Amino acid sequence: MKWLKSRKGQQAVIIFSFVTVPLLLLLIFTYLPFAQMVQFSFYKMKYLTPPDKRVFVGLKNYIDVFTRDDCFKALKLSVYYCIGALFQLALALFLATILSFGVKGGNILKGMMFFPYLISGIAIGFIFKFFYTRGFVLDSILGLFGVSQEALPYWLKDQAVNNWSLVATSVWRYFGQNMVLFIGAIMSVDAELYEAAALDGANRFQQFFHIILPSIKTIVTLNVILSITGSLSAFEPPYVITSGANGTGTYFVIMNEIAHVTQKVGLASAMAVVLLIIIFICTILQKLFFKYAFREADT
Amino acid sequence: MKLRRVLSATLMMALATGTVACGNGATAAGTDTTEVEEAVVTEDVATDTEASEEPVQDSEEAVTEEETSSETEGIKSYADLTLGEDFTDLTAEISFFSNRTDLDSEDYGGTNWRQYMEAFNELYPNIKVDVITDTNYAEDAKTHLQSGDYETVLLIPSIDKADLSSYFESYGSLDEMSTQINYADHWEYQGEVYGVPSTATAQGIVYNKRVFEEAGVTELPKTPEEFIDALQKIKDYNNDIIPLYTNYAAGWTMGSWDDYTGISATGDADYTNRTLLHEKDPFRDYGDSTHPYAVYKILYDAVAKGLTEDDYSTTDWEGCKGMINRGEIGCMVLGSWAYPQMEAAGENAEDIGYMPFPVTVDGKQYALAGPDYCYGINVNAPENEKQAALIFVKWMTELSGFVYNEDGLPIKAGSTETKLSFDNVTFLQEAPAATGEEDLLNELNAESELNYRAGGDRRIQLIIEHASMGDMEFDDIMNEWNEKWTAAQEACGVAAE
Repeated sequence: MKWLKSRKGQQAVIIFSFVTVPLLLLLIFTYLPFAQMVQFSFYKMKYLTPPDKRVFVGLKNYIDVFTRDDCFKALKLSVYYCIGALFQLALALFLATILSFGVKGGNILKGMMFFPYLISGIAIGFIFKFFYTRGFVLDSILGLFGVSQEALPYWLKDQAVNNWSLVATSVWRYFGQNMVLFIGAIMSVDAELYEAAALDGANRFQQFFHIILPSIKTIVTLNVILSITGSLSAFEPPYVITSGANGTGTYFVIMNEIAHVTQKVGLASAMAVVLLIIIFICTILQKLFFKYAFREADT
Repeated sequence: MKLRRVLSATLMMALATGTVACGNGATAAGTDTTEVEEAVVTEDVATDTEASEEPVQDSEEAVTEEETSSETEGIKSYADLTLGEDFTDLTAEISFFSNRTDLDSEDYGGTNWRQYMEAFNELYPNIKVDVITDTNYAEDAKTHLQSGDYETVLLIPSIDKADLSSYFESYGSLDEMSTQINYADHWEYQGEVYGVPSTATAQGIVYNKRVFEEAGVTELPKTPEEFIDALQKIKDYNNDIIPLYTNYAAGWTMGSWDDYTGISATGDADYTNRTLLHEKDPFRDYGDSTHPYAVYKILYDAVAKGLTEDDYSTTDWEGCKGMINRGEIGCMVLGSWAYPQMEAAGENAEDIGYMPFPVTVDGKQYALAGPDYCYGINVNAPENEKQAALIFVKWMTELSGFVYNEDGLPIKAGSTETKLSFDNVTFLQEAPAATGEEDLLNELNAESELNYRAGGDRRIQLIIEHASMGDMEFDDIMNEWNEKWTAAQEACGVAAE
């Protein structure tokens, strides 16, 4: 009792009581369902199959994930999204650097570029479906610049282009958010450093590479990791705009199809677990890479 | 210090969102079992209490037979119920979950939900029906069922027949219900009927009569060859008209091509639920422009010959209604339920027509007449709500005029009221699967992943993609399906002949 009244005891009580609720929520809504899903991945079952009728199949679902040609073929599409993500980060970093050096109307520009992130993904899907329709928005805009419609591809029909079209929507949506994060980080760099560097004769590029980039490396690393894992699990653009048809079915879309249309819940769960492992591996690899890349900045 | 704080704050946020995002997929899959288990549990409880109530009821009835209140009376079955006489003073509030969002609107061309409910309350003033509608019905209805907490009256989504009794109240035996309604066997399991169709539709092609006439198509095509010729004539007549609009992007409009492969393409009522399951290579060429092969070939050929829309990836379902009404589209392969919608989409209602699917089997044309969604009644609802639900379903079927208003084929047994007219076409209903094989088609579908007659939208979309790009011959596509089907038959232990 005495301990409870002491400063340490009070601290412990507060920490415990504040942490319980979120931990409980996390446990109930994330870890428990996840454990269930891992369990499902060893069964042959549909959603509505009663528990006693599910057939235990061991590792068969996992073997299927690796032997089926549609599962890993879909992962190849992630390459499009990875490239898009890198482009998106570069663009965001570039704009963030420019905007953080005081541009006229900078706040309005920031707001406008951040705005797409606030629109619901479903709405974006509808916007871009019409945006890409033959003879609609994009074609008309390009037409204004004198590009004839015959020279343009069918943005969503042509399988050589349609994945890029989808990636573009995702870049459009997320680069503003990345940019705002970068600006936040750049703001915290001590302005005296620029002055000192300028006195030493460093130009803007040198300032960027030797002052800004090392200072914000943590946030850059974080954004790269989030973008790459995000592109592995790309779902919304293909699902909403093309419903995964016409060669745009990413891993997630295929997983959704297998789970909800074909009702092979076990297989879909196994796919989810495999994807999780892939994402883990990618994240660890990236961590190692950045540790290597920034090894000098640490000193 | 400042930098660190900003970083740690953003990192925390990112971690938090990350875990939440990771959790999403798992939660969706994970909660299902727990909920199913719950449903099973509550069901047990329900049956327990019913069992314990029954003897009490009996004894009460024995003591005071005349004083039976509506509570102890038990439920009057669908067949025994006389509308307008029984239970007119019953008080209950029930909910009804429907896919018809368009009937919510006051602007709806026909009778809307509000008007139906007002008419219902004239007869049954104390039964309040809350109509809940949903555009994503097929998926959401299943979720509602899984949660165990679902509406009193529900349009039965695609579930295994073996699970019917866990969720829905039986209307009575098949023999009894067959005297009451058509298509009683649609949701029948072990002799009990669990679903009453909301309406029934025929499968054909909705077309613009004016476009066909002006293009010089005077006689309706009866074979795949004549049909492709007709489309070609439309294209030659006016290149701006899309002869056949595929509605590729909507997805479900693609899966509905399967509906023509049974009755329309074979004239065999047993085909879909019996023959096909045991058929070896059902997608092969039969050489006489019949069977599933002929149906899918129409689509492939039309696309390959440029008789469909230019850019299939951006077709617009809502837009197509106005387009066919204005004569910018020649025809679309859709069930007769779509017919009233196309008529209502513009000023040229009289231009819209409905024709049978262009396949002729031994000189005759057939059309599938089948039930649309069926009303099911929540088995876990309290007695008075169940009774109110039964009254509501029977009223919708017999007195509301819903079926006639929506251009459906009659549901009430013996009724001939319909606006649909197909000349010289034999209507057939699909026979249900043989006993013991009720879920075999589902099993084969899950195994083969063809999802035949079960939302196989991707499969039909691929026909269009291959036809458009020319990277796969039609026969190769069919061979691929045959292989998958055969493999699934082997996996399910079905002997193919």
